[in-house]
Amino acid sequence: MTGRHIRAIAVGIACILFVASCLHAQQSNPTEYQVKAAYLYNFGKFIEWPAKVSTAGDLFSICVLGDDPFGVTLDKTIAGENINGKKVVVRRVAKLQDAVHCRILFISSTEEGRLKEILAALDRTSVLTVSDISQFTRRGGMIQFVMEANRVRFEVNLSTAERDGLTLSSQLLKVAVNVRRSPQPGD
Amino acid sequence: MLTAFRFSRTRSIRRSVVASTVMSLLLFATLIKESRADSSEKDQNTEGRLRHVSLEDLGQIEVTTASKKPVKASRTPAAIYIITQDDIGRSGATSIPEALRQAPGVEVARVDSNTWSLGVRGFGSALSRSVLVLIDGRSVYTPLFAGVYWQVQDTLLEDIERIEVIRGPGGTIWGANAVNGVINIITKSAKDTAGMLVSTGGGNIDQGFVNFRYGAGNGKSFNYRIYGKAFTRGPEFHPNRRQFDDWRMGQAGFRTDWDLQSRDSLTFQGDLYNGDAGQNVRITTYSSPYMANVEQNAELGGGNLMGRWKRVLGVASDIQVQAYYDRTSRKQANFAESRDTFDIDFIHHLPLPWRQDFLWGLGTRLSSGNVTTVVPTVVFTPNHYTDKVYNAFIQDEFPIIGNQVSITIGSKFLHNNYSGFEVQPTARLLWTPSQRQTIWAAVTRAVRTPSRVEEDLQLTALLAPTPLTFFRIIGDRKFSSEHLIGYEAGYRTLVSPNFYLDAAVFCNNYNDLLSIEPGAPFSETSPPPAHTVVPLLFRNALFGNTTGVEIAPNWTATHWWRLRGSYSFLHIDLSKQAGSQDLSTVSSTQGASPHHQVVIQSSLDLARKLEFDQAFRYVSGLPAQLVRAYGTADVRFNWHATRSLDFSVVGQNLFQPHHAEFGGDPGGLVGIERSVYAKLTWQTGQR
Repeated sequence: MTGRHIRAIAVGIACILFVASCLHAQQSNPTEYQVKAAYLYNFGKFIEWPAKVSTAGDLFSICVLGDDPFGVTLDKTIAGENINGKKVVVRRVAKLQDAVHCRILFISSTEEGRLKEILAALDRTSVLTVSDISQFTRRGGMIQFVMEANRVRFEVNLSTAERDGLTLSSQLLKVAVNVRRSPQPGD
Repeated sequence: MLTAFRFSRTRSIRRSVVASTVMSLLLFATLIKESRADSSEKDQNTEGRLRHVSLEDLGQIEVTTASKKPVKASRTPAAIYIITQDDIGRSGATSIPEALRQAPGVEVARVDSNTWSLGVRGFGSALSRSVLVLIDGRSVYTPLFAGVYWQVQDTLLEDIERIEVIRGPGGTIWGANAVNGVINIITKSAKDTAGMLVSTGGGNIDQGFVNFRYGAGNGKSFNYRIYGKAFTRGPEFHPNRRQFDDWRMGQAGFRTDWDLQSRDSLTFQGDLYNGDAGQNVRITTYSSPYMANVEQNAELGGGNLMGRWKRVLGVASDIQVQAYYDRTSRKQANFAESRDTFDIDFIHHLPLPWRQDFLWGLGTRLSSGNVTTVVPTVVFTPNHYTDKVYNAFIQDEFPIIGNQVSITIGSKFLHNNYSGFEVQPTARLLWTPSQRQTIWAAVTRAVRTPSRVEEDLQLTALLAPTPLTFFRIIGDRKFSSEHLIGYEAGYRTLVSPNFYLDAAVFCNNYNDLLSIEPGAPFSETSPPPAHTVVPLLFRNALFGNTTGVEIAPNWTATHWWRLRGSYSFLHIDLSKQAGSQDLSTVSSTQGASPHHQVVIQSSLDLARKLEFDQAFRYVSGLPAQLVRAYGTADVRFNWHATRSLDFSVVGQNLFQPHHAEFGGDPGGLVGIERSVYAKLTWQTGQR
């Protein structure tokens, strides 16, 4: 590789970046996780938690367990927002015992290996579990994001959610692509 | 003189690469700073806008899917690199070995149009000795030659979910012959390939290809797919114009996935392939002129059928049974072989007290090969032989300090025909000081068991016509296993949500490596004419170590630009045991793997559904192969024209008209040519 090549690469890269930054101004699609973040916030508005949870504390925690795929997106989505008069906060939790204080827990795909352990620990704690791990609702999770033709949709495992005392609004269930009511493995 | 020239040139090339990398990075940094400022402002608006969109409308917004982050691998106490479906697609690779170029620590060198040399952390060779390759759990390592015939390891590239590349000894779970690494190719579940896919295209070297897949299901628990593919590939550049290495293959297959109940799942899959690959083989005969280069196609064919049953028993507890049958045959100018392999494996995963994660398994493999002698100078004795391997493994992972530190210990126990009983233990430590950091270290013992080529082959080649002298490799069943004790450590960190860094260091100590020992010459009158034979015997007289470093950063600069790369350094230091007469194995092994490899890949998502990818690679020289250091680049441009139509143009090896990567064919180094192809993809359903 000679100096000629290096110059060629440098010029090439410069051109690409120039073109890219021009074109970028026209880019309009949001990212997958921007939409998922918006969903998480919206779930808070369309779900009722049992009274014992509602009265505890004056914060509404949306938590992320495992490697955070949202980056700053989730924080920006909920910035300054309230749900039922409670200030919405985002927490990244490392330990399972911290997750039981969350209203909504997003389980990152990094945690797939110990999913059973996580769901067992959250059983009957009234934490809404959400994930994009495949077969999540089948494996005992409550809401699973699924991609359909580059659109973010979700499935609901209603029996698990109801068992934990959560009330999902009919509006939410109507939008879900699939509502599962079958009993769970291990039940 | 020549050597001095080559090395000074290597140094100057190294300087230029460093200079170019620094320049590019500076340029990137300044330009991206501006773009990032723009994009975060814009994102703020996007998020603010999205949060008040109704639930119904959220489901209608088309999104840009971010590249899968290297997440699952981040908590593995091993040097693992994941190549995703997205990575394969955006690399423009048309074969599995080409897709593997992006993994750090892997040396992929194309010998000619249909042959590769592939090594992990050294020991690259055309048969990928000491690397275990699995496709959906099916071993494609051939016990005839102790390696992998890459020509017949293929599937529809669009159906691959990911390729896990594990550098370093992986003997414990994966079995013997995973000495230097494991390449684990995993295809998608049939559930994820619903719909129709047709793609076709061609260019100057990848002259024509067509791919087809159709997937469907009953809407719930049963899904299937069928696929077919065919391609024809032209010859690379030959200085002597002997363009023998054209290549044609056709392959078809299916996969079904059936979730019987919520706890049982059943998978069946199979493939059939057929084709021919042009070869130039040097053949020795006992009559004048004693030696000839024969250009003849290798006729390749085979198929496999696999079934897998998995039952979930409870929390972190499941059992899996897998069985497969594989048949492969090849007929080339100097030998022919057909091989039938039957394999069954059982794995049980269960939790034990004190949060232990326990795994154990049993398996057996019978592989029956039948060699047909085509020329009298390549003879396997006996012609027919069945390799029997029985194995068992246990592995236990347990936390020692809270959730932060865990230890994995395990061992594989193996019995084979050649070297008897082998034990391959490992101990691995994983420390996750925070959510964003992982530190790991491991000590592992691994073995490469002998194969028929080392035990049963008699290969004769001409040494001198006057007086008539041949040398003859004589497999006398005195070669035993090669041993390795590997010491490794690694560090992974998510420096920021957008920047991931993976680094690993290793020192592998090898013992009993293959050496070729000359014996006392003897005279032979049959077959006539009378001639002298210098015997060469396979022994285990080499030892030594390899040391190295691999660094792989991955930067998602913005949601429309991802920059990845890797730098791999390798040093091989082998020696002969006292008394060894080995002539060239030390220098040929040391000189067949690059000291330095650099890969830089950029993936840009431009507006209006345009994707632009560039990959640059630099590989330092291979003195034993007379291959000079080279740097070259691939470029891919894809237009996602409609929801179901994509059009792409891919340019490969663009920096020079042709460059050599590895030797092996008679008649001088083959130049890998600059190539371009265009591709049209139409698909419906899930992407």
